[in-house]
Amino acid sequence: MDIAILAPASVLVLWSLIMLFWMAGARLPAAKKLGIDIAAKPGGRGPDFDAQVPENVAWKSHNYTHLMEQPTLFYATVMILAIAGGGHGLNLYLAWGYVILRILHSVWQATINLVNFRFLLFLASTICLLIMAINALWITLF
Amino acid sequence: METSPMLQPMVALILWTMLIWLWMYITRIPAMNKAKIDTANLVGGTGGNLDDLLPPEVQWKAHNYNHLLTEPTLFYAICVVLILSGQDYGLNLTIAWVYVGLRVLHSLVQVTINRVIIRFSLFALSSLCIIALAIHAALAVFG
Repeated sequence: MDIAILAPASVLVLWSLIMLFWMAGARLPAAKKLGIDIAAKPGGRGPDFDAQVPENVAWKSHNYTHLMEQPTLFYATVMILAIAGGGHGLNLYLAWGYVILRILHSVWQATINLVNFRFLLFLASTICLLIMAINALWITLF
Repeated sequence: METSPMLQPMVALILWTMLIWLWMYITRIPAMNKAKIDTANLVGGTGGNLDDLLPPEVQWKAHNYNHLLTEPTLFYAICVVLILSGQDYGLNLTIAWVYVGLRVLHSLVQVTINRVIIRFSLFALSSLCIIALAIHAALAVFG
């Protein structure tokens, strides 16, 4: 078991929870300002709320949702590499690269959110994951 | 720990997801150009907004990519549980490969013809695999 690669995965879990707090910290004052009573009726969900608040408030929640998508593959890939003994060297650097790029992607999406640069950050992080996944295939097949 | 054979279906589904990601961009980026979306100055928004702007068959690729990041997250978690509890062989290994096969078929249906009854049937069958694996995992860790 190669536990070094579990560190970047742990950082991304914690970062996702920071985004959760950032989202709540932006949403709650926005709800108050707009006079939305979040206890008034049952059944509402995040996207219903996002439609009513300023878009830069919704951006935080867009990113939190984003962090619950592709990173789930990242965690699975990290587990595979850790269990199969491939969690060091290049894979470890790629894992850190993925996490750092995802943090930059979050900060960008939550603040400036110009789509072309957001896309480039996402593309770069995906390339890190893709190489990790190919290495995972290699180590588990041979 | 020795490498587990159950890591293989996990990796296969991860790489399949990345292939759908590629398929999504190969169709989406030309469609965005054709729809005259000014990407240089675009601010905010999410992929879901494109549902209103692009042809449905372009967005089907994105729908499937998103779909592959929902239930399969349980699959990866269950595989790790089965590996760590030593149940990563035989029937469980077969079911894991069947799950991956069904999800690949599900993707191909959703991104091409997208007939909902076929898509639903494949999804229902693949979910039965998850249920079986989850019950085996429960027996392994509580039994």
